[in-house]
Amino acid sequence: MVYKLGIVLLLILIVRLGLYYQKESKHNNGQFMDLETTLFTQPQILGNYQKLTVSSDGRDKIFVTTTRFPRFNYGDYVRISGKIKIIQVQPTPNTSTLKGGLISNEKTILTMSFPKIEAVKISRNDPWYLLLSLASVIRQKVTVLFNVALPPASAGLLLGIVFGIKSSFSPEFTENLRTAGVMHVIAASGMNVTMIGGFLSSIFALLFRRQLALVFSIFGIIFYAFIAGLEPSILRATIMGIFGFSALILGRQYLGIYGLGLSAFLMLFISPQLLFDVGFQLSFLATFGLLYIRPIFQGKSLIGEDVATTLAAQLATLPVLLGNFGAYSLLSVIVNGLVLWTVPILMVLGGIGAVVGLVFAPLGKLFLYLSLPLLLYFQNVVSIFGNLGLKFQFQEFPLALSIGYYLVLASILMFIYSKKSKASL
Amino acid sequence: MKKFLFLSLFSLLILTGIFIYENLKFNDHKLHVVFCNVGQGDGIFVRTPTGQDVIIDGGPSDAILSCISSHTPFWDRTIELMFLSHPHLDHFVGLISVVQRYTALSFVTEELFNKTTSFQELISELHNQQIPERFVFAQDRFKTSDGVVFKIVGPTKDFLHRTSPEGIIGENKEFASLETLVEYGNFSVLLTGDSQDTELQDALDSGLIPKDGVKILQVPHHGSKSGLNPDLLQELNPKLAVISVGKNKYGHPTAEILNILRDKNIRILRTDQKGDIEFISDGKGWWFD
Repeated sequence: MVYKLGIVLLLILIVRLGLYYQKESKHNNGQFMDLETTLFTQPQILGNYQKLTVSSDGRDKIFVTTTRFPRFNYGDYVRISGKIKIIQVQPTPNTSTLKGGLISNEKTILTMSFPKIEAVKISRNDPWYLLLSLASVIRQKVTVLFNVALPPASAGLLLGIVFGIKSSFSPEFTENLRTAGVMHVIAASGMNVTMIGGFLSSIFALLFRRQLALVFSIFGIIFYAFIAGLEPSILRATIMGIFGFSALILGRQYLGIYGLGLSAFLMLFISPQLLFDVGFQLSFLATFGLLYIRPIFQGKSLIGEDVATTLAAQLATLPVLLGNFGAYSLLSVIVNGLVLWTVPILMVLGGIGAVVGLVFAPLGKLFLYLSLPLLLYFQNVVSIFGNLGLKFQFQEFPLALSIGYYLVLASILMFIYSKKSKASL
Repeated sequence: MKKFLFLSLFSLLILTGIFIYENLKFNDHKLHVVFCNVGQGDGIFVRTPTGQDVIIDGGPSDAILSCISSHTPFWDRTIELMFLSHPHLDHFVGLISVVQRYTALSFVTEELFNKTTSFQELISELHNQQIPERFVFAQDRFKTSDGVVFKIVGPTKDFLHRTSPEGIIGENKEFASLETLVEYGNFSVLLTGDSQDTELQDALDSGLIPKDGVKILQVPHHGSKSGLNPDLLQELNPKLAVISVGKNKYGHPTAEILNILRDKNIRILRTDQKGDIEFISDGKGWWFD
């Protein structure tokens, strides 16, 4: 029954993607463009510039460069008018963050330099819009709160860990985070949502009866997703969380793989361009790894929980990581093993600090101070191992190699699981 | 839950350790003058013997933030005094982030404006936070309770009005920039911003700079050739020269200026080569890291 449904959904998705990708992108070099959009990605500050990422008609991403001031924020509604420039991206590790992904055909990106941008004030009574504005205000307040209490690198790290809010770190620290393989901790990742869901449901369970606690938890993670920024990884985890909690409410059995498949279906059906989004690819593959590869390592006394998790996620995402970031460090497993245990504690301390601090700043500061030793530990581990390097560098990671990798991985997994099911018979 | 409480207590213990360590390290009753490595621009941080914090220019980006935080204890979030030598991007942009993250008590600058949105942003941020703004000229001075003097040695009102009659800073033209002499006992540092040799000559002629010169000279305008000449250097007689400079397209620091300094056998420290450069003084002697 489930298989039949799965095949039907897959066919629908293939038709949808086929229709979508049949249409050529209609942008020309030098074409004038006038668009109004909500900023769903926090603009990044790079020296004296501000980088905005917007999409035209929900389709192609446009990378916009503008002056540092006036500042724009996540959730702002802006009107942008200017000329589109199409840039050919050379597949080198340095530019690869902008490149597509594993099976990407994106060799070009759309940019706009210093277009006219104005923030448009809109008053809409749309509940989603109100939620977004509220989330955006909280986000900005929390950012100020953390930045006023903690040194810049520590504040950025904690904002990333608790809320998935991306800060501008120094170039060296950013490079170290990448080399050490812990970007996923500070980026908006599904891990945040999963943990928040866990915390909320256990707190609500103390206050309300079960069903109600689960309903509130669903609202909780939706609100968190709006604060964290609606990145593909956050959306994926939120949709899976909603399925998981709903299954509990209905008293049905929940299997991770169904949640994963359904959220992939929903997201791709609504936004087919996500197929080539690195964050989307990483999030789904990593979750798949956690569902099917981690159990193989688990319980092996030699390796800890965190190392098992890291290995599983890395094995599942390796070709995408290499294809997009051009490097992989052998040390990243060790670094993850050394720092991941701090993440839940930092989430609690930072979360309490934020909630308390929004009401009474000085008290919130105390909780943030309490997180400082762990943050300094985290930073030092990352810097020490980041400087050690031990990186494998790749100029280009061919598509054929990626496909081959996944075929081999799939065969190994099928072999292990068929053996297991035979053993259980 | 038990594990969480245990770890929080452990964290508190370490925090106490960090507190003691930073208190000993940063409250050492000495003057610290740090030329922060902010790239192409100026960003100077001063911590007085009793722990009052002063900033002279904020550099072109947020780089100054990590410089400040690595030279202050983590709980000290007050900047007692903030100077801006002149309203150019490579000197003031970092100050916007500073006032957003720290409690700044006062802002001191010359009476010149810049029409860019970035400068408007700084002004509106200062207004939002109700930070008093004060315009100064040569002869004005600030003395902290622990005996550190910040003496404004240039520009004079006359120089400022002559170079910018409209009160607006012009790019690539002669313009005024605050020159601040930091004095503590026998130790002195002359901070020059982007000033030109004419303005520095004015300052020397006015007698505001001691006859026997200064200990440390910040080479004006990132080592631009219009900032310094051999005669000026002779009179200023510095023991050491600092150039605050980063990657740039103007050819800073110029070969002319480097040669003038080498001819006089003056040791040169550059932020693009050394990173943050920190001078420490107890009022009698001075040394650097």
